[in-house]
Amino acid sequence: MKWRLLAASVAYAAASYAQAALTADQVKSFTLPNGMKFIVLESSAIPNANMYTFWKVGSRNEAPGITGLSHFFEHMMFNGSRHYGPKMFDRTMEAKGGANNAYTNSDVTVYQDWFPASALETVFKLEGDRIASLSIDPKMVESERGVVLSERSTGLENSNVRMLMQDLNSVAFTAHPYAIPTIGWESDIKSWNQKDLETYFHTYYTPNNAVAVIVGDVKVDNVKQLATKYFGSIPKRPVPPAVRTKEPEQKGERRLFIAKASASAPNVMVAYKVPEANHPDYYALDVLQSLLADGKTSRLYKALVDTQISNSVSAFSTDGFDPGLLYFYTVSAGNVGADKIEEALLAAIDKVIKDGVTEEELQKVKNAKLLNLYRAQETINGKALQLGNHEVFFGDYRKMFDEPAQYEKLTVADIQNVAAKYLKKSQRTIGVLAAKEE
Amino acid sequence: MNKLIALTLVGAAATAQAADFKLPAFETARLPNGLTVYMMERHEVPLISVRAVVKAGAVNDGQQPGLANLTGDAILLGSLTHNKAAIDEAFDFRGGVLSGGSGTEQSTVQANFAQKDIPVLLPLFAELVQQPSFDAKELDKLRGRKMNVLRQAKESPRQVAGTYYRAMLFGGAAYGNPPGGTVNSLGALKQDDVQGFYQHYFRPDNAAIIVVGDFDPKAMRQQVETLFGQWHAEGPAPQRADYGQVHADKSRVWLVNKSDAIETTFLIGGPGIARNDPDYVPLQVLNTILGGRFTSWLNDELRTNTGLTYGASSAFSPLSQTGTFSISSFTALPKTEAALDLAHKTYERLWDKGIDKATLESAKAYVKGQFPPRFETSEQLAALLGDMYALGVSRDQIDNFMRDVDSLTPERARLLVEKHFPRKNLQTVLVGKAESIRQIAQKYGEVTELEITADGFQPKP
Repeated sequence: MKWRLLAASVAYAAASYAQAALTADQVKSFTLPNGMKFIVLESSAIPNANMYTFWKVGSRNEAPGITGLSHFFEHMMFNGSRHYGPKMFDRTMEAKGGANNAYTNSDVTVYQDWFPASALETVFKLEGDRIASLSIDPKMVESERGVVLSERSTGLENSNVRMLMQDLNSVAFTAHPYAIPTIGWESDIKSWNQKDLETYFHTYYTPNNAVAVIVGDVKVDNVKQLATKYFGSIPKRPVPPAVRTKEPEQKGERRLFIAKASASAPNVMVAYKVPEANHPDYYALDVLQSLLADGKTSRLYKALVDTQISNSVSAFSTDGFDPGLLYFYTVSAGNVGADKIEEALLAAIDKVIKDGVTEEELQKVKNAKLLNLYRAQETINGKALQLGNHEVFFGDYRKMFDEPAQYEKLTVADIQNVAAKYLKKSQRTIGVLAAKEE
Repeated sequence: MNKLIALTLVGAAATAQAADFKLPAFETARLPNGLTVYMMERHEVPLISVRAVVKAGAVNDGQQPGLANLTGDAILLGSLTHNKAAIDEAFDFRGGVLSGGSGTEQSTVQANFAQKDIPVLLPLFAELVQQPSFDAKELDKLRGRKMNVLRQAKESPRQVAGTYYRAMLFGGAAYGNPPGGTVNSLGALKQDDVQGFYQHYFRPDNAAIIVVGDFDPKAMRQQVETLFGQWHAEGPAPQRADYGQVHADKSRVWLVNKSDAIETTFLIGGPGIARNDPDYVPLQVLNTILGGRFTSWLNDELRTNTGLTYGASSAFSPLSQTGTFSISSFTALPKTEAALDLAHKTYERLWDKGIDKATLESAKAYVKGQFPPRFETSEQLAALLGDMYALGVSRDQIDNFMRDVDSLTPERARLLVEKHFPRKNLQTVLVGKAESIRQIAQKYGEVTELEITADGFQPKP
């Protein structure tokens, strides 16, 4: 097994790649007097650019009655503003060669524009107009309601993981709005009204609640000039109210079951309470997650898939402003019961708590993290997403450049410590989806 | 939650925005054993992409659906010198990614790793490609997993609707083979079958090695020659057969019953074009207007104007010899008829009203503007070179992209619509709750009912 021996000797000092890597001083930023922040990176590998606008609003800002409103708002942002009536945002952008999309999660709403660099001014004009003066046309609200109901049902029709995660969140969180599904509850989607929408826009879509990231074949000076022209006159409003509710401490394991007749095999999801993104344990937890579930040499793959009791296993977590969840998800190999795969999954996790991890495993994950950073930096979109996420969730885009060092300094003891601290029985919620309740 | 599900512009043409964007230079070589080699240098990040592309896929399955697909995945189960665990560790421990698989007409083995690991990982990659072990125990596990994946895929109409559609259009012909096989057909495959398939198709005169990324070309040429130069082929090279034509002599509907469905997923269409059709590029522009972008007619009508669906699109899905065309969407069960009717009505606009100049110009700008990010990463470029090799995508199609887009006029658009978009004898696949939509299905053609839980993708004989 000579590869195993070789592997231990290949520690990838991040510094050895310094020449090829992106550096912090290549990134420029400025903030307009109204508080809207811009982060710009010139990158001319392709004649294109993007604009990612991060709004610090998501389903964590909602309450019963208006669940799903952040996401619905994301849709309404494409349905007309003062100078561009319904459909004109998309038509104008596409005619200039641009495309767009947007996503909403519990914490943020992010608008993404992808365009030939020559269309930069058009994109700024369109974005500026909808932020300054969105029109909420009642007719568009009605057709968009149908669109979102279809989005909700197609998610449930096609994805067990979506269904399981939605219900698990509402069990894991009893007080905090992370309990709310981002798509919203069906009855709320059918009932929110014009006033709810107007209030929401006024409260959250204020320029001092946004960060815009532009990466591509642009010049910083030009971006600054256009930003001032198209976003500078949008008035600043009060900073949106903070989310007050804190989730009380979980006092014991929680469980749920979902029956879905067409499920061909039991699905098991185990989620543990973990801290917010901007927390000192973030990187150790991220390494722990990868070590457990990334790749065919991961602990869980070996314990569940290699042994043929599960067909697949994965782990995921979302960066959040508040303490959230680290999820493990596995689908049985057909005739193996949910209890058996759950037991094997929990045993693999407990083993890390009890015996820790090896130096070799840790180094493996560190190597993968560094290479994945380069993979993300191969595209202008990967760069924009990384810069924006670091600025929004970690308070400073520059922290992106500390990442390799943050991973590098972790020890095997750090990994075992976070496993013991967070992956505790009392802090988990276990959900099972299967054809029939046993 | 996204504004929109990514609309697939099926393999939109590769090329350059002449003045603005150039496909990076690459070299092509042929080794004495017949192996084709493509190399493209890029130094943005210290990584390389390596892939072996073999002209073999589900079209070569014969009476054993899933054989190519199982073989493609089984390549990764270890070589004669290094078992699966050793291979997985070697790649994983260096942050490398090793993957592979087999589709309709090509099989690939792909690796992405750090430039500094070329001396260690490239030889392992070469071993897998040339001396796979097809270890019996691991093969058994893999086959079991793949059978479960097929079962689970049928829980999601979106994952299987396209496979039913191809099976319906091509019937028993090779292009109708389900690329992943069926639960029963996979279960019957033996190690000998896999070994035999590999020996028949995985040979240097039926394969290409593609290297894209951060490497030294002189050293790489030498490494590729050393590692792959001894690979040799025995007997005559496999010949391409006729893989079949779309069968559309009358309007037909396949109604696939999923008894707990809360929505209806549908595809409507007929024959399309081959990947190397001279009209491929202009048809990408025309399809953009019909169903290839957010403001396309289909998405505008079915989503924006009526709220019937979260997304509606259309696409040409080209193969090497022919292809298919389809409109696709989904809608809540009670809205099935409204959505289907509107999809048909909207599609008829191609002939009723035609395409005006302003819309055409907008689509041309869109296709050109969205082109460069398709070829931004080493993986994307390696995939393009793979398609050039396996599907016969010509360099002309790439080099003339701008010209072909720019020269499209409303008059030529009208001629292309007449020539390529299927108007009569439309073929429809509906996946949904049969008892609720059976009557509706009859409006669109001769109905055949299938059960989603039954094995495979063809009706009972």
